[in-house]
Amino acid sequence: MSGMASRLETFSPEVMPLKPSETASPGQVSSAQPAGDSFASLLGKMVTDVSAQQNDALQSVRAVQGGQNVPLHQAVIGMEEANVSFQLMVEVRNRLLESYQEIMRMQI
Amino acid sequence: MIQLLSGVQSTAAALDAERTRLNVISENIANANTARGVDGKPYQRQVVVFESALRQAMNSDGTQPPALQVARIEKDSRPPLEVYSPGNPNADANGWVAMPNINLHEEMADMISASRSFEANLAAVKNARSMAQQTLAIGRH
Repeated sequence: MSGMASRLETFSPEVMPLKPSETASPGQVSSAQPAGDSFASLLGKMVTDVSAQQNDALQSVRAVQGGQNVPLHQAVIGMEEANVSFQLMVEVRNRLLESYQEIMRMQI
Repeated sequence: MIQLLSGVQSTAAALDAERTRLNVISENIANANTARGVDGKPYQRQVVVFESALRQAMNSDGTQPPALQVARIEKDSRPPLEVYSPGNPNADANGWVAMPNINLHEEMADMISASRSFEANLAAVKNARSMAQQTLAIGRH
């Protein structure tokens, strides 16, 4: 038992430094920077990705129509992938807007 | 790049392979009566051999990429069919003509099999797409 208690004592100093930031006052929250990319840049990257994917799909459709040796299913699968990515992007945007409107409706 | 339709790469490769198989079957049927090809011999039946190959590059996260099905075209080794047709310009001194050893029934059965495999792979793509769309619809009301 005593061994465990000493172990707990040696362990607690590692936990302690986390506490002050957790209990920070509301005024300090805005100054804290998020560790990763901001949501706006993530969304921007997503839009670029979807756009690139749609461009790829368009290229393969053009290749099929231009008589190059591109199989039809590859073009169609490319289009489907672009479509699903676009839907995911729209879904993220809808959620974001929903949250924004929810906050705007909030009674103060 | 995000991969939303999982497993669709191996399906696309399989679709490619089945398409090659269908092309080869069409070629066999089209040349079923070609007694003299470009090399002067009767047309030789072609067969498609399926193999599975690993993509050269590894995935970015170090996992093994899926095995892709590829089609290899080979010549059928069975001897040509000897047909007695004395009036034929390709006939030899005894009136025998070497015709391609192609059995239309066999080709048709192969075509059904290839066509069904193609459909199965299309169904896999359709299923992957519908799964992704239904997942995106979580929480939609």
